[in-house]
Amino acid sequence: MERLLLLGNESIARGALEAGVAVAAGYPGTPSTEVIETLLKERDRYVEWSVNEKVAFETAYGAAISGAYSLVTMKHVGLNVASDALISSSYTGVEGAMVIFSAGDPSMWSSQNEQDNRYYGLMALIPVFEPFDPQSAHDLTVKAFEFSAKVKHPVLLVSNTRVNHSRTWVNVGVKKAPVWGKLNKKPQVYSLVPSVARANREKQLKRWELITEEVKEFNVIEGDGKKLIITAGVGYAYVKELVEDNVRILRLGVSVPLNKEQILKAVDGVDEVLVVEELEPIVETQLKNILFDEDVRLKVHGKDYVPRTGELTFEKVGRAVAKFLGLQLLEFKEPEIKIPDRPPALCPGCPHRSSFIDLKRGIVKGGLNVTFFSGDIGCYSLGVLPPFNVQDSLIEMGSSLGIANGVFRATNTIPVAVIGDSTFFHNGLSGLANAVYNNLPVLIVVLDNRVTAMTGQNPSPSREIEIEEVAKGLGVEFVKWFDPFDLKKSIDVISEATKWVKEKRKPAVIVAKRACALDVLDKINGDLPIAVVDEKKCTGCSICYDFFTCPAITVGDNKKAVIDTSLCIGCGACIPVCPHNAITLKGETPKGWDELWLS
Amino acid sequence: MVKLNIVIGGVGGQGVITMGKMLIRAVKPCYRAISSETHGLAQRGGGVNVHVRMGDVYAPLVPLGTADYVVGLEAIEGLRNIKYASSTSGIFIMNTKIQRPAIPKVSLPTIDDIIRLVKEYIKTVVVIDAEDLALKAGNLKAVNSVLVGTMLSVGKLRDFVDESVLLNSLNEVNRKAVYLGMDNYSVL
Repeated sequence: MERLLLLGNESIARGALEAGVAVAAGYPGTPSTEVIETLLKERDRYVEWSVNEKVAFETAYGAAISGAYSLVTMKHVGLNVASDALISSSYTGVEGAMVIFSAGDPSMWSSQNEQDNRYYGLMALIPVFEPFDPQSAHDLTVKAFEFSAKVKHPVLLVSNTRVNHSRTWVNVGVKKAPVWGKLNKKPQVYSLVPSVARANREKQLKRWELITEEVKEFNVIEGDGKKLIITAGVGYAYVKELVEDNVRILRLGVSVPLNKEQILKAVDGVDEVLVVEELEPIVETQLKNILFDEDVRLKVHGKDYVPRTGELTFEKVGRAVAKFLGLQLLEFKEPEIKIPDRPPALCPGCPHRSSFIDLKRGIVKGGLNVTFFSGDIGCYSLGVLPPFNVQDSLIEMGSSLGIANGVFRATNTIPVAVIGDSTFFHNGLSGLANAVYNNLPVLIVVLDNRVTAMTGQNPSPSREIEIEEVAKGLGVEFVKWFDPFDLKKSIDVISEATKWVKEKRKPAVIVAKRACALDVLDKINGDLPIAVVDEKKCTGCSICYDFFTCPAITVGDNKKAVIDTSLCIGCGACIPVCPHNAITLKGETPKGWDELWLS
Repeated sequence: MVKLNIVIGGVGGQGVITMGKMLIRAVKPCYRAISSETHGLAQRGGGVNVHVRMGDVYAPLVPLGTADYVVGLEAIEGLRNIKYASSTSGIFIMNTKIQRPAIPKVSLPTIDDIIRLVKEYIKTVVVIDAEDLALKAGNLKAVNSVLVGTMLSVGKLRDFVDESVLLNSLNEVNRKAVYLGMDNYSVL
C-alpha cells in the first residue's frame, strides 16, 4: 500500500481516480478548488473548469446517465446555482455513478454564508457522505462511487474546511481505469415531462427506501457505555480525542438518511444521547423523528450544547462533551491583547486597486456624484473595505446586475455595477441581457484580470471570449475598455461612459483590462524593477499609503512614504497616484513584462 | 498520550502553509500527524495561520492554551495567535519583522511592545531576524525554513520529526536557511 501526504481535497481526487472517474467538472470556490486542480493533471480522464456550477453539474449528470463514472465539485453556495438540476437528477437516477462534491465553509473564512448543504440531501432525497479527515475523505469517496453505481442514484459528498484543507499521510490504493459511457437514449426516464416525472417520483421513493436500508454499512459503533455520542464529519475527530472508551460513539459516514434499525441498536441500553455535528441539526432532527415514531423516550442533546454557528473547535466540542458527561471543565481565559486587524488586502500590483481609484474619480467627473455600487463575488469584493468603499452590496455570484436593477427601480439613482470577468461569465450574462431588455441606466464595470484569481489563478473564459464582443452581441450600445494603470485615460473613459448612461438612460459596459499580478509573477523570470520614493519631493501627504493602500508602501519618518522592498513588484501603479511625482521606477523590466500584463 | 501542538501565524504569501507542509512531511512514522490551513481570501495579504499537530491526535485544530510552539513569520501575526500557547511550557518564536496591514491610518506596536506583551503571558520568547538570514541563505522566501531551524534548536520538535528527512526534502537554499535558523536566535 502506498502512503501519500495529501490535503483533504487531494484525497478526494485520489479516491475518485481509484473509483474509476472518467468525467469531472467543477467551478472553483474555496474550500473545494484543489479537487479539480489535482484531477487536471490526469491525462486519461476528461476534466474541466466549467463556467458555473450548474453547467458543471449538468456535464457530470450527462456523463452519468450515459453510464460513465462522473464527479462534479463546487463550494457550498455553488450547489444553490446547480440546485435546479440537482433536485431533478434524483428523480431520474443515473446509469453509471455520479458523485456531487460540495465543500462547506463554517465560520465563513471565504464565503458569504455558512449554509449546511446536508439539507439538500434531505430535500432532494440524495444520500450524504461525510468524511472526518483526509483518510476518511479518500475512503468515503471510493465508497460513494461504488454506492452510486450500486443504487443507480447520485450521491452527495459533503465536507467542510477542516477536512478539505487538512493535510495528513493517507493510505491510498491503485488508480482504476476510467469508466466511460455509451450512447443511451431513454426519454421515458430522462425527459421529465409530467407523465415521466410522476412515474419517476414513485421510483425515486423506492430507491430512497433501498438507500436508507443500505447506508448502514458506512456507520460504525465504537466503545460502550450508558451515554451515546453520535457524530458526523469533523465532529468525530474532536470527540475521538476528548472521550475515553466508556462512552458509546456512533460514527456516521453517511449522515443523510439515518437507518432506523441501526439507530435503535445504537440507543439500546443508553440513558442519554449527544449529537455532535457542525452547523445545522441535520442528524439531530432525523434522530428525534425516529425516536418519536418508535416511542423511545430518550433525552437527546444537540444544538442546545453544540453551537449552530461557526466551525467546531476543541473548546466548543469540549464544553458540550463535559456538560453531557458531567465532567469538570477548565475554562480557558483568553489573554486580552489589543492587536491591529489584518483583513485580506488587494496584492501589490493588483489592477483592481487602480480600477477603484479610477472609477471613483471618473464617475464624479462624469457628473455622477451619488450612486449605488452594486458589487459581486471575487477578489474585488475587498473593495468593500476602506479606503475604497465601492461595494455597497454583494450577496452571490452575478448579483451586481440584478440588484442594480432593483435599486434603480426603487430609487431612480443610477447605479454602478462592478463585476469580475469570471463572475461575468458565471452568472452575469443573464443580468446584462435583462439590463438591455428592460433599459436599465447602469454603468457596468467589468474588472477583467484574465483569471479566476481568488481561488488561486484558475482559468477564466475571458481568455477565450472577448467581453466587449459579448456585450455588443447582447445589444449594449456603449462598450469601451481601459487599462486601469493609466489613470488619466481611464478617468476619461469612465466619465464618458457615465455621461452617456445619464443622457441615454441605457446600460454601458466598460472593461478594465489588466492581468492579475500574481498570475504575471508566476509567469515571469528575472529581476523586477522597484519603486523608489524621492524624499525631497514626497510631502508626506499620505495618499499612497492611506488612500491607495498598496501593501508595499509603508510610513517612514515625517509621514513620508517608504517602499517595502520585499513586497514591491515594480508594477508602477502608484506612480500616477502620487500628486507630487515623487515615485519612479528603478531597474529594467524583464522580457515580456508588458505583454503579460496586457495580453 | 504524547502530543505536539504547533500554531504558525503569518501574512498571506509568506510561506505559512509551506512551513506546515515541511514539518508534517518529516514526522516520524510512529506518530500520527495533521495540519490544518486557511486558504482562499486569506491568502490576499491577510492574517493566515496553520495548525500542526503530531502524536496521539485526530482533530485538526490546536486547543487554546496548549501549543508547545507559537511561531510568528511576522511579529504581529505571532502575537495574534498567542492565545494558543501553553502558558507553562509554550515557546514563542518570532521573526522580528512587522508588516503594516494595508488599511488606512493604522497604528502599529513595536517589536519591544510585542515582546513585553508576550512575556506577560509565557516565559520563553525566542527572537530571530529571519528575513536577514533568509537573504544570506540566498532567498528572501526562505524565512519559513529559517524558523523551522530555530524550532529544531529549541523545544521538543526533534522528538517528533526526523531532521534528515526534513533536510532532504529541501533544496540547497532552504537547507542553508534551516542551518542558519538553528544557530542565530536569541532567547529572551
